Amino acid sequence: MREPQQAPFGVHVAFAILGLVFLAVFSRIYLGEQGAEWRRTQAQFETLQVGLKNPHQLAEAASVAGLRQIWLSDLDRVDRCTTCHLGIDDPAYSRAPQPFRTHPGGWLATHPDDRFGCTACHDGQGQATDYHGAAHHPIPFVERSMRPLETIEANCGTCHRSLDPPAAPRLAAGRQLIVDSGCVSCHDIPGFEGVTFAGPALDNEGYKVRAEWLVAWLQDPKAYLTRSKMGNFRLTREEMSALQAFLLSQRQQAPLPAVGVDWSKANSDDGKALFGELRCTSCHAINGRGGTMGPELTRVGDKVRRDWLLSFLKDPHRDQPDTAMLQYRLTDDQVRDLAAYLYQELRGGEAAPETPAAPFQDARAVAQGRAVFVKRGCYSCHRLPGVSVTGKIGPSLAGVADHDPDQLTYGTGNVRHTTDNYLYLKLLNPAAGGSPSLMPTFGFTPSAAATIALALASLRKTDLPASRVVWHPPAVPYRPQGAFGELVTRYRCMSCHRIRGSGGDLSTVPLDRIGSQLQRDYLVAYLQNPGAVRVSVEARMPVFHMLRAEAETIADYATTVFVDDAIDGYDARFTPSEVQRGEQLYAALGCVGCHQINTKGGYVGPDLTNTGSRLKPGWIATWLSNPQRAKPGTMDPNYALSPSDVRALTAYLSQLRASTQPGNPQAGASKGAGGGR
Amino acid sequence: MTTRLVLALLLMAIWTGCRRTVPPPGEPMADALRAEEKEGGLTYSASLGKPVFAQYCATCHGDAGKGDGQNAYNLVPPPPDFTTSKNLVDEAYVRRVIAEGSAAVGRSPLSPPYGHTLSPQEIDYVTIYCQALARKK
Repeated sequence: MREPQQAPFGVHVAFAILGLVFLAVFSRIYLGEQGAEWRRTQAQFETLQVGLKNPHQLAEAASVAGLRQIWLSDLDRVDRCTTCHLGIDDPAYSRAPQPFRTHPGGWLATHPDDRFGCTACHDGQGQATDYHGAAHHPIPFVERSMRPLETIEANCGTCHRSLDPPAAPRLAAGRQLIVDSGCVSCHDIPGFEGVTFAGPALDNEGYKVRAEWLVAWLQDPKAYLTRSKMGNFRLTREEMSALQAFLLSQRQQAPLPAVGVDWSKANSDDGKALFGELRCTSCHAINGRGGTMGPELTRVGDKVRRDWLLSFLKDPHRDQPDTAMLQYRLTDDQVRDLAAYLYQELRGGEAAPETPAAPFQDARAVAQGRAVFVKRGCYSCHRLPGVSVTGKIGPSLAGVADHDPDQLTYGTGNVRHTTDNYLYLKLLNPAAGGSPSLMPTFGFTPSAAATIALALASLRKTDLPASRVVWHPPAVPYRPQGAFGELVTRYRCMSCHRIRGSGGDLSTVPLDRIGSQLQRDYLVAYLQNPGAVRVSVEARMPVFHMLRAEAETIADYATTVFVDDAIDGYDARFTPSEVQRGEQLYAALGCVGCHQINTKGGYVGPDLTNTGSRLKPGWIATWLSNPQRAKPGTMDPNYALSPSDVRALTAYLSQLRASTQPGNPQAGASKGAGGGR
Repeated sequence: MTTRLVLALLLMAIWTGCRRTVPPPGEPMADALRAEEKEGGLTYSASLGKPVFAQYCATCHGDAGKGDGQNAYNLVPPPPDFTTSKNLVDEAYVRRVIAEGSAAVGRSPLSPPYGHTLSPQEIDYVTIYCQALARKK
């Protein structure tokens, strides 16, 4: 038998030390866990709870002891924030100190924490159970620390994909800026499918603009037009002259002949008066004042050639089929005077003679210009016959917010590496990142660039489950047909008016129910001589000089097609006592604050002097019952009137007539039922 | 040789001593958004009330709440100047006028009730914004 071998003494010692080390490690873990930050926080909460609630409520309250977590399996997220944020959904803690305070606003009512968690909106590290680890503030090497409130709406956009997300004004503004700035011309952007953007057609550029203006424009569009949507392409001198040659060689269709126009008889004062009368300023600004739908005209005389201008004013759609500008019905003399005013008066300095309109002959320069045109993607906004379009020139922005921030460029400043900051700096100055960029410099203000960056920051790579996505498809474009359709096209009604979800939004209510809203005779008179009732509104309906027959065609179509039987069926037989009670209500509700009757009252809403000849009673009642349903966003508040009050007010308003018959200024000076703007 | 070494070490020591700690990296995008708010001295919530105020209230109350909106001159009695009115301190009062109209606090009916028009959230924001305007003297 051999003696059991004794382990050497050193091994004993080693095991003893190891045992002690284990003891120390486990004690440290145990004690650390017992004294964890979240336990102290929960203990504080219990103290606070005792102070805030009575014994009965306390007995009812659920125990808070232990880790709490929200598991969102479809989003692959675990949020433990409620381990410490214990009063988050209990209004009793609205004034409690953090982290116990109730969530502000009504957000949890629409986004309950058990369905949305916390980090879906706020970012941060949801699994952490201590303040630092949860990334309440940025931590090095940890992506997605909590978003500051200023940029939090970016996360709304991850689920809310429509162009008009609710209750997120900054995100909505950013998306609108993306639409308005034409980003979609060069980039595929998820959520913006179907949005298009086009600059003016260039196929007659050689007839349209002066050669020297074109170079100045290419050098810096904002120098001529401060609101120009075209960016600065940072072109070299050679590129500019090549592009100039190429663009001036575009001469597809000569302007309408100007023979017989006697310019010596042109009266630019009459032209100026006409400019005002036609209400050109609804769309065109001069010296910064006026609408923004069309280009500012302050120095248009420096830009265009006279013959082209004359031709364009006669028939804008011939040269620019996609323009938003309507075609007025003007005499040749009126067109000449208007052209003379624009051409002679609206310029930066002395009139320089037009360089001859001879075609640019240098074939080499033209070919070089075409190459620049293609290389810089000018075709993205300016379609040109003969230049084929193959895909978008810029990269797709799908998932742009999930790029690795450390792989992106930030220029020379000391900037935290986040996709937010990358997008912002790129938008401000595309070439500043260090790498050459084909993207033009758009000259965004810092706040505009930040707002766009915020909207782009919602474009995540991860595909959300369909049940999380909030989106409504854009309306099918509405194109009116027949004689009515021709008139709508000629007068470009849908540049400002919305019909069946299509068209602009510069005007009052959508026209879908206009036939149940306005009386036919009033509409005919109005189209021929549109007045304006709210003096505070600057954008006015243009004076088309429309023929009576045309006005009748439109009015007949509208009163046949754009109607709502529920409105037309309204019983308009009112009793005198209803009228009387309506008048009292009108005074008691303070309607006079915003509406005028016979020049008495405010001018926020429409003048009501002539309501009886203008609006149909059913519409008045519909509007009063819920103005926001008739026109979302109108200033007119919903008074939550009872049906009998609505009827009394309708009775009173329906018998209001201007003292003289239609045709007088007062009768003409009324506009469609008040849509607040 | 040794002198040079000592000199170099000394210079390095001075340089290290003088060097400031690196400032934290900037957040230009959030700063650009904050700049707008800072300009008006607004919190995030108040800044959300600003567009609501501009759309529904400013025509009469004026952009800065001074009671000088373009429609103010048609109103008898005129809208108050927020910066001098004592009522603006009272959050519940402001909220009530916005939601129920000025008639609800015993004044003229010229300021209409927006309680059925704006969401509770919008009323919160615009209340905060009105009070922020009142604090700006």
